[in-house]
Amino acid sequence: MDFEAVIGLEIHVELNCATKLFCDCPNRPGDEPNANTCPTCLWMPGAAPRLSQAALEKAALLCLGLGAELQPLSAFDQKVYYYPDLPKGYQLSQAHLPLSRGGSITVTNEQGEARTLRIHHIHMEEDVAKLVHELEGRQPISLVDFNRAGAPLVEIVTEPDFRTPYEAMEFLKALRTQVRYVGASECSMENGTMRVDANISVRPRGTDQMNTKVEVKNMNSVRHVGDAIAFETARQSAAVQTGETVVQHTRLWDPDKKVTLPMRAKFEGPCVPDPSVPAIELTPAWIESLRARLPEMPTAKAERLVKEHGISAEDAAFLSADTDVADYFEALTAQGVTTKMALHWTATQVLPAVRERGQEISACSVTPERLAGLLTLLARDEINANAARDVLVALFESDASAETIVNERGFRQISDTGELGALIDLVLVAEPAALADVRNGVGKAMGFLIGQVMQASQGKANPKLIKELLAKKLKTS
Amino acid sequence: MSPIYRFENPDPASALPDGPLHGMRVALQSTVSVAGWPTDADSAALADFTALEDATVVQRLRQAGAALTGLTRASEFGFGLHGSQVGEAVRSDADAELVLDMMGECRVAAARAGAFGLLPSVGLVSRLGLIGLIPSMERCGLLARSCDTLSALLAALAGPDGRDLTLEEAPLPSLAPLPKDGRGVTLGVIPQALEGLPAAQAEGFRAAIDRLTAAGVTVRELPLPEYNLFDLVHAIVGAVEASSCAGRYDSVRYGHRPPGAKDWNEMYLSARGAAFGTCVKSFLVQGAFFQFERYAAYENACRIRARLVATVQQLMPQVDALALPLADRVPEGATATLAETRAPFASTLLASVTGQPALALPAAGAYGALQLVGSRLGDARLLALGGMLAALCREGK
Repeated sequence: MDFEAVIGLEIHVELNCATKLFCDCPNRPGDEPNANTCPTCLWMPGAAPRLSQAALEKAALLCLGLGAELQPLSAFDQKVYYYPDLPKGYQLSQAHLPLSRGGSITVTNEQGEARTLRIHHIHMEEDVAKLVHELEGRQPISLVDFNRAGAPLVEIVTEPDFRTPYEAMEFLKALRTQVRYVGASECSMENGTMRVDANISVRPRGTDQMNTKVEVKNMNSVRHVGDAIAFETARQSAAVQTGETVVQHTRLWDPDKKVTLPMRAKFEGPCVPDPSVPAIELTPAWIESLRARLPEMPTAKAERLVKEHGISAEDAAFLSADTDVADYFEALTAQGVTTKMALHWTATQVLPAVRERGQEISACSVTPERLAGLLTLLARDEINANAARDVLVALFESDASAETIVNERGFRQISDTGELGALIDLVLVAEPAALADVRNGVGKAMGFLIGQVMQASQGKANPKLIKELLAKKLKTS
Repeated sequence: MSPIYRFENPDPASALPDGPLHGMRVALQSTVSVAGWPTDADSAALADFTALEDATVVQRLRQAGAALTGLTRASEFGFGLHGSQVGEAVRSDADAELVLDMMGECRVAAARAGAFGLLPSVGLVSRLGLIGLIPSMERCGLLARSCDTLSALLAALAGPDGRDLTLEEAPLPSLAPLPKDGRGVTLGVIPQALEGLPAAQAEGFRAAIDRLTAAGVTVRELPLPEYNLFDLVHAIVGAVEASSCAGRYDSVRYGHRPPGAKDWNEMYLSARGAAFGTCVKSFLVQGAFFQFERYAAYENACRIRARLVATVQQLMPQVDALALPLADRVPEGATATLAETRAPFASTLLASVTGQPALALPAAGAYGALQLVGSRLGDARLLALGGMLAALCREGK
């Protein structure tokens, strides 16, 4: 029998707020263990949570960015479970009245079809403490770090709209882009600022039944999410085929063995409304003022780039995947650089150079203005492409303008016919065999001769001019 | 060792001679956080816990110049009054006490001590630093020998607290002026509240009402057929809240931790199980039953609560206050079953459930203790009314 998977995702995103969700402690989980704590986030007796307005705004902005509908009334509940990462015994989360409902992301599946994957709701919650297991030493010990306790999270819960690992991965990539656009989080699965759980069930292809689901956790990259879903789908399909009943439970992805393994269930119960945090009431005016702060989102940006710059949809998608990259490209064109050159240099020269140096394109020293100076020289044939690449390196290393670098270091290309003609004559004398080949119609030989002239000019010759002069000389001689 | 105090402040002198409460001696319970004091809520779950910072009410007492005498002996988490000395401090060395009120403890303790007790409106006095069991019902009750003292205390303690965002931030509603004497006052009596009361209590209540009527007070009967549901709502909603959030008293980072657990998961579970006393544990188990096995009943109880709040709110414009009976004694004995513990609070649950202010007036001669329930945030008017009516009862002795 042919099976298909029914997949829903639960995505935790750690908001990059300066403080925690219910107190003023710094939201920096990586600091010295337990440095960023107070009675509130240690959950000591008598402490009272105070909802951070900054976290509420950021979470709400994230919801709007995903096309979700902010709810006029939302509230926190106590999600009871007993585990050492939560000594309080309950996590404040929005179980009954979430911050937003609805929203969706449209992705392209393997068949090239557009698939709109719906979001059920988005809610806020506090993160729990981090357990550190020290296995070295005579006796293994477990430690609790409360720096993360009370950190602001949102959880994005999707509808079970996904059918393949690919769709899940595309959704996560698009989600990450959109959340980065609104500036709410870095969304790094590797660093744990985005954590994904997948709920997976299988059914005979073509049916619409909803079967018992299994939750899979512990994937720390988008790739792992795809692998875990693929494994779990195959595992459940095989189990169903042998007549085994799938029971609802939670499994952990083992990235080394590439399998999912059952984990011990946590004790969990229904959520009770929390009376210590006032309900959140959002007015239409507040929501609209927040919406005004929403940046142009990736899909809209890509559509605009196609329309305004005449680039392909693929190139537009590439640029708009990172708002800083798109901004850089547009700043170049605003400086008068042609679309083609701006696209080529942003994608194949600046981005790799920035990554190699561990910088951000938005903050790198080669600003669009400085690069435009270089590309203007290139467009005017005052330097050639080889030299331009060298000048780019020099731009990263100094504050000088491209013009200054070109002048001081002699990068200007030789476009003097007399000077070039002399070089060509020297090469033709030195390479009689190649000359003969050219005359006998061996195409490669022409390229070789141009290369030799270029070398003789120490890379400064104007290649177009070499070709012209060579052709002229061969015709006349 | 003091029979009343379990901890006496070695240095109760007031630091602020000019404060409005200067010279007032205030006793606390160990459910109110005072930095450095043994704030263990009289529970093994918090054994040896000392508060890291002052509760907001303690800060404000200090700022107003009050002297803190110590911590009175109370029941576990201040839940019920069995084995509790709450209220006794005002009969000896204190002018006032702060009493955590989760089902009427402050009011019944006041009546027991022959004093006045105020349960302030929900949202009026900060709960930061209170260590209780039922967040949506518990409030910091005030207990003193006169309504004037309560008024002064309330003025010092009430008002927005940047650290407890559940407090009312809007200015208090303006209150209708109080009638000059009893003849302008209208009290509402709920006949259902008198059903099933101990005979002496019902008799004392009727005698007090008769006395007030004789003094010109108008008494209006306000039937409330659903009155018995206050007990049900408290028993279910209160217990579920307690069960859900009592886990925060973990008995691991402080408190009594029993030895012998296999690993830390087990240790966390067993520590909570071993820490709570029988009565509190019964309440928690009752709540756990509804939370985990009968969640729909809990949701129903929440809906009923909202309906009761609205119903009582509709009654209030017809009267200056509701008059309810009030138990003024608690059976002797340090321990009791959950049912025995809750028994004295049949008449106090209304205000606990609705969030309204309630004032306990002590018995006067033949007249039993009386409880007045005012409109939410009308606390100051309720205190003034209470002072006037108490005087009328005393005059009629």
